Amino acid sequence: MDKSIKIRTKNVFFSYQNNRVLNDISVEFREHTLTAIVGPSGIGKSTFLMTLNRLWESIPGAAMKGNVEIRFDGAFQDIYLPSYSLTSLRRSVGMVFQTPNPLPMSIYRNVAFPLKLAGFKKKDYIDHKVEEALTRAYLWDEVKDRIRDDAFTLSGGQQQRLCIARTLIMEPQILLLDEPTSSLDTESGRIIEELLISLKERCTLLVVSHYREQVKRIADTVLEISDGHFIPEGAIPASPESAE
Amino acid sequence: MSRSLEITITVCSWLCGIVLLGAVFTVIGYLLFKGFGTLGPQLLFGSVNPLEALLFKKQVFDGLFPAVVGTLLLVILSVGIAIPIGITSGVYMAEYANGGVKKIFSLLFDILASIPSIVVGLFGFSLAVFLHRHFSEKIYPSLLISSLALAFLVLPYIIRTTQIALETLPRETRLTALALGATKLQNIFYVLIPKSLSGIISGVILAIGRCAEDTAVIMLTGVVASAGVPKSLLANYEALPFYIYYISSQYMNAEELSSGYGAAIVLLGICAVLFLFAFMIQKGLAYRALYRA
Repeated sequence: MDKSIKIRTKNVFFSYQNNRVLNDISVEFREHTLTAIVGPSGIGKSTFLMTLNRLWESIPGAAMKGNVEIRFDGAFQDIYLPSYSLTSLRRSVGMVFQTPNPLPMSIYRNVAFPLKLAGFKKKDYIDHKVEEALTRAYLWDEVKDRIRDDAFTLSGGQQQRLCIARTLIMEPQILLLDEPTSSLDTESGRIIEELLISLKERCTLLVVSHYREQVKRIADTVLEISDGHFIPEGAIPASPESAE
Repeated sequence: MSRSLEITITVCSWLCGIVLLGAVFTVIGYLLFKGFGTLGPQLLFGSVNPLEALLFKKQVFDGLFPAVVGTLLLVILSVGIAIPIGITSGVYMAEYANGGVKKIFSLLFDILASIPSIVVGLFGFSLAVFLHRHFSEKIYPSLLISSLALAFLVLPYIIRTTQIALETLPRETRLTALALGATKLQNIFYVLIPKSLSGIISGVILAIGRCAEDTAVIMLTGVVASAGVPKSLLANYEALPFYIYYISSQYMNAEELSSGYGAAIVLLGICAVLFLFAFMIQKGLAYRALYRA
């Protein structure tokens, strides 16, 4: 498996409402690996993820300086160039949030939603992609007989896998996950962990997590944020914020 | 907080709720008591055959039918004008305006919301005079002028409720579609507006109620006591709130006063139907239309 550098950030500074959150972060992430980002609440872990898909730009009061490059098609591209397409960036760099957030529509429409946004119309193609994404998210067998049901009829764990499937349908090269298991029970969390490990074949994963044992189980690399900086690679936090 | 204070606050809250409900039921009960006896085809259509009146084959001069039609047209036109402008402005305020522009517009909308309706009516009348002098001599105070003035009156409600409904959405909801590659406009249409539809419809319901009940604006802009069903947008018209005001201030006998109570019940019924329609849109039609794959 190719493990060359996929993402590199240089001198990234980030502030929110004039408060410094990230302070001169320069870091690299290897392709097809799972990197866990740990640290106390409010330290900037989720913010860091949002610098990689420029999602922070939609948050009033946020400001960033620095350089983020991602290797697409063998060449590094500066994603902060004014000419860079935000929509294509966010289709290549998918993001899953802490709380499962299905849209108020059917399971099928939720998963197909990014294709609709991208302008795909062929039903056969969309059907195929929906099944493929749900299969990859370990959800197809559980929902194939009720694909037209409201997404809110699913359990919390299933909803989170639905959100992962919804992100996977655009075949992102990078997947950002912001504490994806924090609102789930142990069993649902375990399924998501297995899913994340399986996704390394297709994506580069960055996972924000609070759980020490989970980090040990799934991560190839662990980075801790402290005072706006990353503590050197490989360090597993001695005192995680929340116990498992 | 001490337990006794907690109990006192709970009891006071319940009492306030009961008083409010009691007031609502008292008003409705009083209207029904006074006006229920007058309800019937006679109240609406007078001596004209209801079918002929409904098909507009014969004018009704001794019933409420023209006022019912006038009120419905007035509400539909006013809200129809105010909704697109109000929702678009609310979206602009919540999603695009920032800094000084937002503060100035917020102040202007607040001032607009606090203008007394009689002043808006006067503005509508002045508009009719201006249009009559400078554009067409056919323009007088009419259904169209009343609708424009009422739309102006309810615009701040729709703008503010739309803005607040959008601004109070959780951050993750706002970011969901953007993270999936949606453009800002797609995010607004596919996620933000449908998710805040409940709040937006609340503003529309307020607007419907205001348009249906306001008398001051229409008195100066085109309503008359007897005009029949309006034949065009530039015609005079009748409306239930004006009929109620007119009858209650000028009634000649107890029977006429009772018909005023009957008109109030009909007005409440129309509002209830419009509210129900708004709720149906909220719960079903708009939701499905916006999310059709």
